[in-house]
Amino acid sequence: MDDNKEARSRRKFLEDVSLLAAGSVAGSMLPTLPAFAQAKSKATGTVRVWGEPGPYGGVAVDGMNEWAAKFAPGLKFQIESLSWDSVYVKLMTDLAARRPANCISVESPIAMQLMAQGLLEPIDDVVKQVGRERLIDGAKWEYWGAWKGKQYVLPAHHQPHLLLVRQDVINELGLGDPDKWDWNDLLNAARTITEKKPGMAGISLALGRNLCTDYHFAALLHSAGGRMFDPSKQYEVVFDSPNTVEALEYVKSLLPYMPKSAVSASFLEVVDSIVTGKAAMAFYWGRPYGRAWDENKEVFKNLEAYNHARHPKTGNRSNWNDFQGWCIPKANNPYIKEVKAALAYYQTSKVWPVRYCQSLVPNVSPVYKDTAADPELQKHPFFETKKRTIDTYYTGSLKYSSSTANELLGGVNPLAGIVHGRSILAQTVQKVVIDNMKPADAAKWGAKELESVRKEHFSLVI
Amino acid sequence: MTPMSRVRARRWLGQACAYATLVAITLAICFPLMWALSTSLKPKSELSTPPTLVPHAPTLENYRHLLTGKSQYFAGGSGEYQPTTAPPQYFLSWFGNSIIVSLGSTVISIVISTLAAYSITRFRYKGRMAVPYFSLLGYMVPSIILVFPLFMVMTRLELTDSLWSLTLGYVSTTLPFCMWLLWAFFRGIPVELEEAAMIDGASRLRVFGEIVLPSALPGIIAAAIFSMIVSWNDYLFARVFMNSVDHYPLTVGVMLFFEGVHVDWGLMMASAVLMTVPMAVLFMALQRHLVAGFGAGAVKG
Amino acid sequence: MQKNEHWRAADNRIGLLFIAPFVVAALVFMVYPVLESIRMAFYYIDPLNPDAQRFAGLDNFGTVLRDPLFWSSFRNAAYWTFVSTILQTVAGVGIALLLHLPLRGISVFRGLLLFPYIVPTVVIALCWQWMLNPEIGIVNHTLRGAGIIDENIYWLSSPDMAMLSTIMLNVWKYTPFVTICVLARLQTVPTELYDAAKVDGAGVLRRFTDITLPQLAEVLAVVVVFRTIWTFNKFEEIYLLTRGGPGTSTYNLAIYSFEQSIANLRMGVGAATGVIMMLMLFLGSILYMRLFRFQDET
Repeated sequence: MDDNKEARSRRKFLEDVSLLAAGSVAGSMLPTLPAFAQAKSKATGTVRVWGEPGPYGGVAVDGMNEWAAKFAPGLKFQIESLSWDSVYVKLMTDLAARRPANCISVESPIAMQLMAQGLLEPIDDVVKQVGRERLIDGAKWEYWGAWKGKQYVLPAHHQPHLLLVRQDVINELGLGDPDKWDWNDLLNAARTITEKKPGMAGISLALGRNLCTDYHFAALLHSAGGRMFDPSKQYEVVFDSPNTVEALEYVKSLLPYMPKSAVSASFLEVVDSIVTGKAAMAFYWGRPYGRAWDENKEVFKNLEAYNHARHPKTGNRSNWNDFQGWCIPKANNPYIKEVKAALAYYQTSKVWPVRYCQSLVPNVSPVYKDTAADPELQKHPFFETKKRTIDTYYTGSLKYSSSTANELLGGVNPLAGIVHGRSILAQTVQKVVIDNMKPADAAKWGAKELESVRKEHFSLVI
Repeated sequence: MTPMSRVRARRWLGQACAYATLVAITLAICFPLMWALSTSLKPKSELSTPPTLVPHAPTLENYRHLLTGKSQYFAGGSGEYQPTTAPPQYFLSWFGNSIIVSLGSTVISIVISTLAAYSITRFRYKGRMAVPYFSLLGYMVPSIILVFPLFMVMTRLELTDSLWSLTLGYVSTTLPFCMWLLWAFFRGIPVELEEAAMIDGASRLRVFGEIVLPSALPGIIAAAIFSMIVSWNDYLFARVFMNSVDHYPLTVGVMLFFEGVHVDWGLMMASAVLMTVPMAVLFMALQRHLVAGFGAGAVKG
Repeated sequence: MQKNEHWRAADNRIGLLFIAPFVVAALVFMVYPVLESIRMAFYYIDPLNPDAQRFAGLDNFGTVLRDPLFWSSFRNAAYWTFVSTILQTVAGVGIALLLHLPLRGISVFRGLLLFPYIVPTVVIALCWQWMLNPEIGIVNHTLRGAGIIDENIYWLSSPDMAMLSTIMLNVWKYTPFVTICVLARLQTVPTELYDAAKVDGAGVLRRFTDITLPQLAEVLAVVVVFRTIWTFNKFEEIYLLTRGGPGTSTYNLAIYSFEQSIANLRMGVGAATGVIMMLMLFLGSILYMRLFRFQDET
């Protein structure tokens, strides 16, 4: 019994030492374990944490459980992963039932909607502990979610979708350097591949009524200089514009070179098409690399990613970025203090952010300078052959990043979450590709829908 | 050939045709589930190759993953550290939840409707005939209309996310059905025996317990099976009422495996098979009651 | 005499006691939700802020009736229901006739053929998605192998094919319902009728049209009405297979209502859709009652 106790305290001592060591190794950049992350808690129960599918949510929760084991032994953090297509159902029912998860990891459009609705706990105290100056170059805190001078969302990772290409196919057909492409080059490449490579689609995009389509189209819309709302004019709807029409026409021109299932495709189908070699290019985040590694080494070997093609006239390129962050619902949440402490704990630890990013390379890009520079992070087999691609996801993409929650990085937009909940962008695209509506009319239809979002939820933005 | 043997030959031919047709239809109808079973026994490597009905290298690994809670996420792209949680680890809880809520709602519905059916077929009071009419209407109201108002009720009662909300929620769909079926069934049970017993001085409760219940048993079983099936199969109520991952019933839980960018079809089909088994066993065991009960309930007035 | 009256009253009290749980449960779980959904139809309700409800008058109904999507959902639902019900009825009667044959081992077939009815919709939707997978699904593989198609069919990606797929799912799952009902009725048709017809020299077809069909007329009418009402209001069968897509080509009213409530955060509009569905249901039920001719014993 006594031996046991001694063993435990010895282990505790060693843990503390290693923690201190970790802190000092990281240097001045990494603050030592913040005081309030060490506050003991007597709370008991299960802390529900939402995350998107994939291993990283589970890794973060393991980190939080390490905190709990030390400081709140009665608590257990439990991850609930939600596929994107069910996020809104879950969000709505949980909030309406006044039983939101105690901690939520979501992409910025949803986070900002919740934030503006006053459903979230401000987390400036956590940010202060984590270190404001640690944020990766090229990003701002508000990209994840800040509103009226307060931070509501703590960065978990940033997550761009880029242009994935099969380098072997591009080289074989002499299509040039995808990094230098504009829209016409991309279209031309898609056409050439479809014509010259039987059984392979030129490019794979999601065009179904779902979030993936919204995100794919948003990149093109923003690249064309279009946007949904104008934050500088009380969020007036500016969707009915030549830029939107241009983006819609471009999607339509790509359609013949997409897999036939594109009009109902979502995340899964796009990844399927690229991993199985049925498509040579796709818009996608970093997930297909892991799957290709597992299922199709040949594809893995030849899969590269580039910043999206430039708009032919303006030269603008736009990479949609999720800017995924942690937020804390404030109503009926008995664990606010504990969640904050656990978040601060895992984010100031040296190992957990690295493990987090490493769990699915290159899908979850590091958000802190020290994590990005950590040599441990690069001890991942993908770095041996995919360094350029990984660097593009991790850092190179940020310069051109954009999201619907912060269109063209020109102002936080809390209405975007509702827009995605209703799949308005996807439905606008579908009007063109399924119903053969004229792009100009589809843009009008979309604008009308956006107008009703603005009208119904104007209270969010004033 | 004698006329007699010609008749026999014709009958034999007719029977052979009938059997052949039956077998063909049965195969066609059972194919989706046979295919699910076959898929669930295949290793991952066999899923993307040209499909065969019989697995080349049958394996139970999909079932093992499901029951031991192994992560179904692809391993590629992950670092050395492996997270300790994965949805399949809840599979057994989901299974238990499904059993609890379907049994619970069935028991409640059956008890209430048996008492009520007895009451309206054996007593005379005003308005009793409204009960079957009303049940029939309720039987036809689709869940989509009930789900959100009931959800609001559960929220007010602070029952959301608990198995009670589902148990009680299912009562709203199973009760009218059981009521309707049992009413029809009870009407068909002759009252003479009960009257004779009561003249002999037996109390109502004794008559109910010793004479009525045993003769109503086939109807009660049929109603119970249907009620179990309805509750076990529901997706909508559970989707809306339940919040925590470990409180889901099977139908909603299993849909978590559809996690966006990667579907482990072997795991999916294994869970589909396991989800079907309890109802299949129940159904096989009690099949004849089903036809009989249905004859009484939905067909005859 | 007096005592007997007393006993009657006491006895009736037991009857009321027996019905009481039903009355309570029906009020709480059936009447209240319906009334509440009618109330909700007249309010603006944002599920994320369920406490802030505002009276909307008839606005929600206006929104629904002016929405082209509502009408196209209505048309889809009508088409879906019409085709599914006809196919189910024809297949169901056919299978029931087969299962009614006096063959050895028929009960095995009976069990297997009624089986789909008990399979959870989630399971069927999963199986369907797996079998209809355009690249590695068994259906395309078989069709290609048999030389029926050259190129893979994208079952869930074109409006027509998706509609066909949901209809197939629905027919597969609910044909057994028709079979059960018809089979139960067939078992009560007196065999003397057939014997007499045989003596008169009526062939198989004549016996079917002259005896079986008239005997089945009543049950078929009932079954068709039931199936029509249920199929029209189905949610899960479509939602789990196509989510109403591609586009909105397989939307029906239930999906429309669900999406309005949840995706669009307009629970009032969703409820108004529900009320409209209930009105249609009511009309359907009146039809049913007519067909059914309740014998009200007094």
